[in-house]
Parts: sequence; structure tokens; C-alpha cells
Amino acid sequence: MKKNLITIVIAAVLVMIFALLLFTFQVRQSEVAVLTTFGKPAANNLDQPDLYFKWPWPIQQVYRFDKRTQNFEDKYSENLTADNTMLLTSVYVGWRISNAKDFFPKFAGGSVEVAQRQLETMLRSAKAAVIGKHNLSDFVNPDPKQLKLEAIEDEIKTAVQNQLATQNYGISIDFLGVKKLGLPESVTQTVFDRMKSERQVLISEAQFQGEAEATKIKSAAERQAADVLANAQAEATRIEGSGVAEAAKTLAVFQQNPELAIFQLQLEALKNSLNQKSTLIFDERTPPFSLFQNLPANTQTK
Amino acid sequence: MSDAGSQALAEALRSSFVIVKLALAALLVVIFAAGFFTVGPQEKAVILRFGKPQGEAQKMLLGAGLHWSLPYPIDEVIRIPITEIQKVSSTVGWYLTSPEMELAGTEPPAGPSLNPQIDGYVVTADRNIIHTRATVSYHIDDPRTAIFNFANGTNQQFNLAGVSNAVQNAVNEALILSAARFNVDDIITRDIAGFQDAVSQRVSELAEREQLGVAIDQVQVQSVAPRQLKDVFAMVTTARQNRDKLVNDALSEQNRIASQAGALAASITNAAESARTRYVTAIESDAMAFTELLPKYESNPNLFAQLELAKAMTQILTNVQDKIFLPQRADGKPRELRLQLNREPPQPKSAANP
Repeated sequence: MKKNLITIVIAAVLVMIFALLLFTFQVRQSEVAVLTTFGKPAANNLDQPDLYFKWPWPIQQVYRFDKRTQNFEDKYSENLTADNTMLLTSVYVGWRISNAKDFFPKFAGGSVEVAQRQLETMLRSAKAAVIGKHNLSDFVNPDPKQLKLEAIEDEIKTAVQNQLATQNYGISIDFLGVKKLGLPESVTQTVFDRMKSERQVLISEAQFQGEAEATKIKSAAERQAADVLANAQAEATRIEGSGVAEAAKTLAVFQQNPELAIFQLQLEALKNSLNQKSTLIFDERTPPFSLFQNLPANTQTK
Repeated sequence: MSDAGSQALAEALRSSFVIVKLALAALLVVIFAAGFFTVGPQEKAVILRFGKPQGEAQKMLLGAGLHWSLPYPIDEVIRIPITEIQKVSSTVGWYLTSPEMELAGTEPPAGPSLNPQIDGYVVTADRNIIHTRATVSYHIDDPRTAIFNFANGTNQQFNLAGVSNAVQNAVNEALILSAARFNVDDIITRDIAGFQDAVSQRVSELAEREQLGVAIDQVQVQSVAPRQLKDVFAMVTTARQNRDKLVNDALSEQNRIASQAGALAASITNAAESARTRYVTAIESDAMAFTELLPKYESNPNLFAQLELAKAMTQILTNVQDKIFLPQRADGKPRELRLQLNREPPQPKSAANP
């Protein structure tokens, strides 16, 4: 009897597996499914991952869609800006099937490719409309406040979203961004010419700046040096003056006997002036040679 | 039915039951064994139970090794090629080149213009055209989002191609948007780091806003001037370097002049200082001498003067080089004295010229 129990359990498991395969289906994390009964879609999208019950074919049928975000990039295409500049742009779009029930009757077999062709058409008109409203300075600008590239992306996104909503395509756009931004080929050449002349200006500017700057620095340095020296001279004069002032205090000493003071000074001056390498011419009136005057007459010349 | 017949039938049934039981048991074993799967080093696996990924955040990803899952209708194992660090490079902004050329360090010849279909570039804020490219390293922060929210075009396959594509486009957008607000000189020379930061910041911002489930680790940006204008851009760099050199030379000259002037000023004031000291001490010593001599002088001024003069004359006569004594003429008339100021060196006497 125990053996039979095992047999029954095994059989039950197998039957269950078979029943699971026949009467249920799974929706994976990345999917959304629509269940049709005799071809008529159910009211709800099955967009939560789980195990769902269904009657076997041909009563009910499951249509699965990838609900993950798809990447779509449109062709690099030309549009005129408001100030008549031809601009080349390409955008990338992250889009996904948000409502499979609406989505799959509109595109043959729920084809992603067909949907993307539709998206491309919408993008083309949205881009033309949005770019035509903006000047080139909205696309490139050193002032972050005037740069409107992000706003332009949002405008294109909103335009496409509005179209999708009115048409009820069951598609939603998660994000949209500029992938490429360029100029027509012939324009690039003129841009190069302009860039070249701008560079030439920069070259000569750098040359002049260097010389001017160097001269400025040097002359400033020289002026400062002159100032420093002039200050030093003034300081020197002041110091010497203070010396004289200090010495003047001692003058009181000499005032006790100005005659002696002057005599001493003269004597000192005499000593200093009649130093080496000088020639002294004197006659007998100069002391101490005055002694010669009183010598006997035989020394007298004729 | 005879007993023998029914017994044979029972025997046959029993034996066939045994076979069926064995087969069923074998089937169970097979089903159980089929639940084992291995994960390689360059991939991760996720178990979907009734379509729902098992485990939260990083625990969702099963690493290398042996794992077990329930059989198919319940569990499904999906494998994702994944490495620790993901890398992706921008696809816009650079001129057409090949990996071979990159390795060799060469570049394709530059035409007079850029073909928008082939050559990538970005337009800067000051409407210059330059080439720039970026490489982004990132890691998967939220596997559920990164794996299950982004498709790569092929239906029902799971890998990171979808999210990698989204990151790549985020980098492309970041390059174009950042270039649109930076001037050419900032991107190429003056503020390379600033531009890189702007791109990096924008990529992270987009990754967050577009909910890519990735975290940006690093963004490296490389920017160059168009090949067509390489020379003239290099000339600007050279001119700027020359300018800097001129300025630096001038600055060192400035230092030299300043320190020279400082030294000279110091020597002037020092000289004045010592002159003052000398002067003051000289006067003071004179004063001292004066004070000492005063009593002597006052006792007999004339004698004192005569003595002092005589003393001085002794010293003077010792020091003086030439002494010429010129006595008075007998008749008392003044003598005429000729002074030859330009003293000639004494000439040797010869026989011809006595």
C-alpha cells in the first residue's frame, strides 16, 4: 500500500506539471502580457511578473510584449533655427510600451520596428517645430542661463509625448536627449576659416601681452628700486643730521674756550693736510725754522 | 479465466508497474538533477520564479559556482554576461579613425571640411568645432533596473547591452551639452579638468534621472583641436608659452632689481650710520682732549700754543715728502718761485745729454 502511495504522489506531481504547462503562463519581470478570449483582449494589462491562469488555446491566447525601455535614435537631419542657421541634430529616445492593450492593435503584431518608424515621423515634425523656435545661441552659449539645450530636449520630448497621448499609442517616452549636434559640411569649412583667424588674433595678442607685461613689470621694479634708494638717501641724510645734532650737544664743552678749540682744530687740520706726498716750502720765518734767522751772518747768501 | 491465466496477467501487471514506477522515479531524479546549473566567471545568473527575480539588489545576482533551481514552469534561470566594472566610450565627437591607427598614433588625413556622416565633432559655446571623446567606467547599482528595464533590441534576451547603450547615449549627450557651454580654450587647454567634471556630472545626473540602475565610477575625457587647425592651435600654445616666459623673466628681473636696490639702500644707510658714529666719537674725543688741555692752556695760552705748534711741526716734517727751505733774500726782496705742478719722472743722465 505504501508503494502505491509513492506512485500516486509521483503521478500527481507529473499531472500538476502538465496542468501548469497547459493552464497557466508566466509573465516575466521584463514583460507585459495581454490575454485574449476568442480574440478579444482582456481589460487589463498583465504587467506584474507572476503566474497567471488561462484556458488552453484556442479559447484564450497570450500576447507578450517587452516592456523594457527601448533605445531609438533618429537620423542625423537638418533643421533651420529661428535665426536661419542650418543645424544638424540627432536625438536618442528611451521609449517603452506602457499600455500593451493599446499598443498591439495599432502596430502589426506589436512590432517594435513599426512603432519606431512611427516614432521617427513624430520626432521629425517635433524637432522641426522646436528647433525652428530657437536661435543658435540657445543651442551653444557660454552663459549657462542662456543655454537652452536641456529645455529644447524637454520641448521635443513633450511634443512627441503629446502626439503619442492624443493618438493613444500605448507608448511612453522615458527620456530624450541630443545625441549629435553639428553643422552642414560646407559650414564646417567656414567655421575652420573663422577659427583660424581667431587663433591668429590670439597669437599676436599673446605676443603683445608678453612684451607689454614684461615692460610693465620691469619699469615698475625700476621705479620701486629708485624709491628705495631715494628713501635710503633720505634716511642717510637724516642719520648724518642726527649725528651732527648729537655732536652739537658736546659743543658746549668747546664753548668754555673757543680760542683753544679753534687752535686745536686748526692744528688738527694742519696735521691732516700736510700728510705724506705733500711738499712743504718754508722760509726762516716759519717756526721752527725761525731759529735760522738768528744764526751768525756767515750763512747769509749773496 | 483460468487461475493460471489470471496469475500470469497479475504477474505481467506487477512487473509493468515496477517498470512504470522505476521510470517515474527516474523522471523525478532527472527533473531534480536538471535543476542544477553552473555559473561561469564572466557571468551572473538570476532565478525568475513565476517570472519574478529572486533576491533583492546585489543578492539577485548569482555568482560563479553551482546552483540549483526548481524545474522550468516554476523557476527560470537567466544568464547575464557581466563583469565587475563596465566600460563604455562615447560614439560622437571624434573623427573617423580605427583602432589600428590609434595604436600606431596616426590619424587619417584631414580634408578641408568635416563630413557629418563620418566625422564626429562637438560645437563649443564660442561656436568652434573640436573633437572630444569620453570613456565611462560604471558598475551596476540596481540589477533589477539595469537588467530588466532596458532592452537591447532583441526580444526576450537578458544582458546589459540595453543599459550600456543608455549609458553610452548619456555620455554622448553629456559631451554635447558640456561643450555647448564651454569655450574652446577652456576645453582644450585652460580648464580641461573643469570640462571633464562637467561631463562626469552630467553623465551621473542623466544616469540618475533616466533611472539606469548604474553608478558612474569615472569619466575620462580627451579633447583635441581639429586636425585641420592643429598647427595654428599649436602656435597659439607656443605664443602663450613665450608670453609666460617673457613675464617670468621680467618677474625674476624684478626680483633682481628689488634685491639689488635693497642691498644698495642698506649699504647707504649703514655707511651713514657709521659716518655718524665716527663723527660723534671724533667730536667726543676732541671734547675730551679739549677738557684735558683747557687747564694747561689757560695757565699760559701763548706757551701752550707754541709748544703744541712745535710738536705738530715735528710730526708734519716727519710725514711731509719734500721739504724745501727757502731763506729770505739778503736784500729783503721777495723771491720768485716757479711751481711745476706736473712733476716729470727723473730722466736718466746720458753722455749726449749731460
